Amino acid sequence: MEETKATEGNIARRALRCSLHRPLFSRTATILLAVFVLGGLATPSLKAQEPQRDPAGTATGDKTSAVDAGGNSFVVTEPTDKTAPDYAEKKKAYDEYQAQLAKEPLAAKLADSVGHTRVATNFSWTLLTGYLVLFMQAGFALLTCGLVRKKNAAHLMMLNFAAYVFAFLAYYAVGYAFQFGAVAINAAPANLGGTPTLNHFLIGSGGWGFLGGRGFFLSGPGYDSGSLCLTLFEVVFMETAGYIIVGAICERITFWSFLLCELFVGGILYPIFGCWVWGGGWLSQLGATMHLAHGYVDFAGSTVVHAVGGFCAMALAVILGPRLGKYGPDGKPRPFPAHNLAFVVTGTFILLFGWMGFNPGSTLGSTDLRISVIAINTNLAAVAGAATAMSFWYFRFGKPDITMACNGMLAGLVAITAPCAFVSPTSAVVIGILAGFVVCVGVLFNERVIKVDDPCGAISVHGYCGWLGAVCVGIFADGTYGSGWNGIGADTYLGTAGRGVTGLLHGDPKQLITQLIGATLCAVWAFGATFVVFSVVNKIKAMRVSREVEIEGLDVPQFGLPGYPEDFVPQGLAAAEA
Amino acid sequence: MKKVEAIVRPHLLDAVRNALHEVSVAGMTISEVQGHGRQKGHTETYRGTEYQIEFIPKIKVEVIIPDDIEDSVVEAITRTARTGKFGDGKIFVVPVNDVIRIRTGERGEAAV
Repeated sequence: MEETKATEGNIARRALRCSLHRPLFSRTATILLAVFVLGGLATPSLKAQEPQRDPAGTATGDKTSAVDAGGNSFVVTEPTDKTAPDYAEKKKAYDEYQAQLAKEPLAAKLADSVGHTRVATNFSWTLLTGYLVLFMQAGFALLTCGLVRKKNAAHLMMLNFAAYVFAFLAYYAVGYAFQFGAVAINAAPANLGGTPTLNHFLIGSGGWGFLGGRGFFLSGPGYDSGSLCLTLFEVVFMETAGYIIVGAICERITFWSFLLCELFVGGILYPIFGCWVWGGGWLSQLGATMHLAHGYVDFAGSTVVHAVGGFCAMALAVILGPRLGKYGPDGKPRPFPAHNLAFVVTGTFILLFGWMGFNPGSTLGSTDLRISVIAINTNLAAVAGAATAMSFWYFRFGKPDITMACNGMLAGLVAITAPCAFVSPTSAVVIGILAGFVVCVGVLFNERVIKVDDPCGAISVHGYCGWLGAVCVGIFADGTYGSGWNGIGADTYLGTAGRGVTGLLHGDPKQLITQLIGATLCAVWAFGATFVVFSVVNKIKAMRVSREVEIEGLDVPQFGLPGYPEDFVPQGLAAAEA
Repeated sequence: MKKVEAIVRPHLLDAVRNALHEVSVAGMTISEVQGHGRQKGHTETYRGTEYQIEFIPKIKVEVIIPDDIEDSVVEAITRTARTGKFGDGKIFVVPVNDVIRIRTGERGEAAV
């Protein structure tokens, strides 16, 4: 050891002596330096052409944000395409608008205020619904904690807690920038003022964007009032995917590898697919680039959030293997009954409540009055899913299993998340029923056929039903909402003015094909990327706890504290007198 | 002195306790136990997987009594704990070597 240290010291001293003897700047270095300085001087002038960020929120929302109930803008923009057949008409309207503006300057000022108020209303809406989604963290923590064995109660709670903490940090650093760094190009959120500073793809461009590149560490162009409003809303959605994996990997995963999973989900897995669908990326632009209906549509995230979480969970569950004792020597599964059904049901109700933020909030604005339809559709699918699961279980096994009833409700919620804005209430009921079936069959299939141990049913509820939900957009969407979605058919679609996103049953089979492609790609991406990365991790160091730790329960080995200390410490010791 | 251990249905604990007080039994210890007798358990399912419920929750009542009231104690417990259905429980009577009251140091029947 002494020898190596001495040698290292010599090398360092020699290097220092050499650098002191050389001229400070070689010719190449001088030229490079000049280029950088000139480039640096030129940058401010380039920056002036870039949209300016607005951290104080005093420049967001003006007359360009003022629209009427039908989405028609107060401001008339100058038509640029001189070859278009309606150019003369549009030019006339523009000239008239300019003349009116000159005659009534007070009306223009009022329009600025109206536009600002509209954006402000939508900020409130987006942030408050975002807080509801944040509250779902508590719901999922209760749900999953209740579903596992008592000896792992603290472990489950801590997984849910740490998931929020570490995935958030990864999303802050790179996730948000990857997902929304280019959103202003193809999918600017007009309801929030447009977030114009988020306008660059790191990988791809135009209609073929793959990765956003603005807003790293939420600084520079990301340190903007409108952008950060979007960040809050979108980070809590990412967190939902982050905690979904807990449901499948609990009771046997090491804490260090779990933190790695969360950093992976928050920084890479979720944002990349999220960019493709919501960040203006290539899946959303398939309508324009490949004439595939409205492109891939996922309103509030059946696939972007739930299927990503569910299939990531599946890959991890496959790598980890089933819990000790889950399968007997004959391969027959054994049950590990839930230790606290009160937690399970309460958690489910909290999730339902939070979903009132998840789905209606995804309009990013209460000025979009479709929010009431979305809220009702969400609830209908939830109850239909629960009723279906309860009936299925009653007829198949003789009693309506409480945990499956809860899973059924969540399945309905997951499945309606993509189509909620585009379907009728009755379609929502049907979607809920379908989800109820899928989750019941899925749970039995995972446990009995492919033998993937999923303690909380996360793979079936979020993975399978998430895929189903996105596909249901392509079947049940009725065209009453979503005109101009992903930039397609703003004036007319399939021959009807104002027609929105439409599915197979209402005359648009191409949307179904697009949905099948996108949803399946989501499953492949989430499962594949996770499986590849974490197979490598697992080879380097085992992600699963030792046999002894798993049998004892993970509470004390991982966190030094049992979830229910009074099971271990006799009451006498706990009540010591001074 | 004898120790009487009675395994009884939990919801009949109150009735048994009152009956024991009536026959001048001063103190008792109870614990929550699980067990089964000659009846086999039954099968339930959890999320589609079958499992056996073999053990039923019961209450164990333990009392230390002087020999002379053994018969009345056993009769009191039997009367109040019997429903006539399977699962009524059992009573065990075992001899006791010594009893000590910790507070005073008394031994034997005086300590009961």
